[in-house]
Amino acid sequence: MKQVQRRPLFVALAVLAIVGALWSYVFLQNPAQPTLDQRVHDVGSQLKCPVCQGESVADSTSELAQQMRGVIRQQLQSGKSEQEVIQYFQASYGDQIVWSPPWQGFSLLAWLVPIGLLLAGIILLFFVLRDWRTPSPGGSMSDDSELANVDEADLAIYRSQLEQELAAEDPIFTLQSRTEAG
Amino acid sequence: MHFSDIGNIALILASGFAIYTGIVAVVGAIRNAPLLVISARRGVLVVAFFLLLASACLIVSFLTHDFGVSYVAQHSSLAMPWYFTTAAFYGGQEGSLLYWALMLAVFSAIFSLTAKRAPAAIVPYVIATLMGIQIFLLLMLSTVSSPFVRLPVAPQDGNGLNPLLMDPGMLVHPPMLLMGYMSFSLPFAFAVAAMITGKLDSDWLRSIRRWTLASWSIQTTGLILGAWWAYHVLGWGGYWGWDPVENAALLPWLTATAFLHSTMVQERRGMLKVWNLVLVIASFALSIFGTFEVRSGIISSVHSFAYSGVGAFFLVFLAIIIVFSTALFIFRLPRLRPEQEFDSVVSREGIFLVNNLLLVGIAFATLWGTIFPLLSAALLRQTMTVGPPFYNSVDGPLFVVLVLAMGVGPLLAWRRTSTRALWHNLGIPALAAAICAAILPLAGVHDIWANVGFAVCSFTAAAILYELWRGMHVRHRHGEPYPTALYMLINRYRQRYGGYIVHLGLVLLAVGVIGSHFFQVQQDAVLTPGKEMNVAGYTLTFFGNYEETYPGTDTVKSILQIWSGGQLKGYIYPGRVFYQNFENQPVSLIPISTFGLTDVYVFLDDWKGTSQATIRVFINPLTSLVWYGGLLMLLGGIVCWWPERRKQIMHRDVGVTLAVPRSPRSASPTSPKTSGRNDEGVIA
Repeated sequence: MKQVQRRPLFVALAVLAIVGALWSYVFLQNPAQPTLDQRVHDVGSQLKCPVCQGESVADSTSELAQQMRGVIRQQLQSGKSEQEVIQYFQASYGDQIVWSPPWQGFSLLAWLVPIGLLLAGIILLFFVLRDWRTPSPGGSMSDDSELANVDEADLAIYRSQLEQELAAEDPIFTLQSRTEAG
Repeated sequence: MHFSDIGNIALILASGFAIYTGIVAVVGAIRNAPLLVISARRGVLVVAFFLLLASACLIVSFLTHDFGVSYVAQHSSLAMPWYFTTAAFYGGQEGSLLYWALMLAVFSAIFSLTAKRAPAAIVPYVIATLMGIQIFLLLMLSTVSSPFVRLPVAPQDGNGLNPLLMDPGMLVHPPMLLMGYMSFSLPFAFAVAAMITGKLDSDWLRSIRRWTLASWSIQTTGLILGAWWAYHVLGWGGYWGWDPVENAALLPWLTATAFLHSTMVQERRGMLKVWNLVLVIASFALSIFGTFEVRSGIISSVHSFAYSGVGAFFLVFLAIIIVFSTALFIFRLPRLRPEQEFDSVVSREGIFLVNNLLLVGIAFATLWGTIFPLLSAALLRQTMTVGPPFYNSVDGPLFVVLVLAMGVGPLLAWRRTSTRALWHNLGIPALAAAICAAILPLAGVHDIWANVGFAVCSFTAAAILYELWRGMHVRHRHGEPYPTALYMLINRYRQRYGGYIVHLGLVLLAVGVIGSHFFQVQQDAVLTPGKEMNVAGYTLTFFGNYEETYPGTDTVKSILQIWSGGQLKGYIYPGRVFYQNFENQPVSLIPISTFGLTDVYVFLDDWKGTSQATIRVFINPLTSLVWYGGLLMLLGGIVCWWPERRKQIMHRDVGVTLAVPRSPRSASPTSPKTSGRNDEGVIA
């Protein structure tokens, strides 16, 4: 019984391992080497165009954005990192030029509040579910053999239930699920 | 006497009737006087009539170019074609408010005419709530924001419409989105009525679900059309920029989606009543919030074209809605107990809760990002921006998990699923995901997140298609050919299979989003005649620029050829149009050539005379899937929504002969001689 139960798990693990190996091979073989154009675009899309409404430096066609793209290109060519270029613009234009709130000070709240609330939601969901659940008829759920027995019986019920649900009150389905049950 | 005067009178009469209708509905409900309720139902129709009249007056004022009306003078000109002149009706603040009131009136009238289908006890309260909203709009329209204000001296010609709006997208996108915003007032009215009367039974649930589905479908269409409009007009190669106004339109959509899912739990298991009410109220409050945000101009956005002082009124209205519904809610809370217990986390209701958590999580994160700059400015006097990188990194992963949950959901049974059944069902989708995850990296997809996204999408697509195939297969075994089987399956279990169609559409859309987000290629080049540029296998050859002048517009166009694989694919003409009175806001003409699933998006950035152009090219892979996915979602929404009353009764009668009735409703008598198979043949 247990073996049957675990087989899919092993299959899943094997598949995961194969995919994982493949991925790491492919990604190690082809390390990401963005071109200068891509790097300029990456930096530009992190910055808000100061004279536009809701457009990034990478997307905007305004003259200022074009000049800024030129500056980004120059600085990247001179060997600065993406982060340094962004910091340069932050220093000269102020915090509002950066398009995602920085991970510090008050703007840290922009990140932490949604993440915190989501975690709180998960915890709440967990407790709500625990409260709502009726105590299972077999007592403890951890008993494996009992679970397996329940499973066998359940499987038949749920299979027919699935068919039934699929069918609702459709005659040909009901006919079929009946014959199967019988 | 001008048409605008008639319009003014119509608005005032509509306000009067709306007030009358609201009062009569409430009095009729309290005194239990059916005649008063009937009067209220007719009052709704009268309000709709006067709003139709007012709207007709405004349209006639536009079409007759009555520039004595300030709104007409500001938003149209003699040079505009008739269809844009008509569409200018909702092109500005006052007109769009009138359009909104009109749509509310039309929907209220539809409700009033079909009120027999809704539970009788709640009808007057639904009408009263709708009229409450209507009174607010009408008061705004007849005082601070009237479209019929006349100028002392009529100008010779009007200003014309904002050029960004002179686009076919303008004809369809704003009315859809405004209608979507407005339509959330019906579910809200149902929720208010249910809280007042305490009737949250299955009839109520069925009515509110249908109205919410309608709102959802309209809002989906509005969002997709908005994305399409942005893609074709704005010229930055994308369709969704997490702009505050876009977010505002997405928020009620998210909560309404959550509601549509959690009502299924309420329908089946009698749980989550409280939560569902919260979601309905939130959807409406968010749509008002969106309006407030767009109109007040407190947040800078590419889409806000209708600034004005009405923002404060919307804020007050929003506050009233929130206070009123919270009070009602607290008053009603003791009566809202779940009817059944939860059996297992690994069940469909379990996954619906996860779905709700995710959708509400996305909605909250998006709302938070939208209002955070305001908080920062108010509390610390520190201006800051929250843009796409924030939303991509917070909402992106949540969307991926949501798509995954969409795939797992249909595999789970209600109440409880055994681990073995789950493993068994997971097999095929997991295999599809694994194959996808193995093949794509070898095929050259080197971004980890894109791979994860694609694998999840294939998992979900496989799960849904497998479900569909299983249903079809069962029918096929009973002698139906596959296409008929598919049709019958969808036709018969509209909610379930309509839902699957929506899910498939969303998966398609997700694939499109992942493709265009991770694999977009962008290139700029300054070209002179004869020069070419190469982007991702496509070659563009430049020939020169030319100018076209028509009354009211001035157009600059570049001539380019697209080559791919050594073959000429065609000529394209990216350009700019300058409209009279809006010379500093040229509109881009963006040719988008689609090859397979890849868009070549060409934008004329800058030009000098006839012999030099700065061309910006975007290669957007898979973007077409966004539109196909959107279409599929709309189709699925319509399938879910489509009325099935008469047919279902017929089916029920048939079903009883063979099956134990599932609900008392289906226990109608049937003649013993009708066998299920025969009737099946008749229907088929």
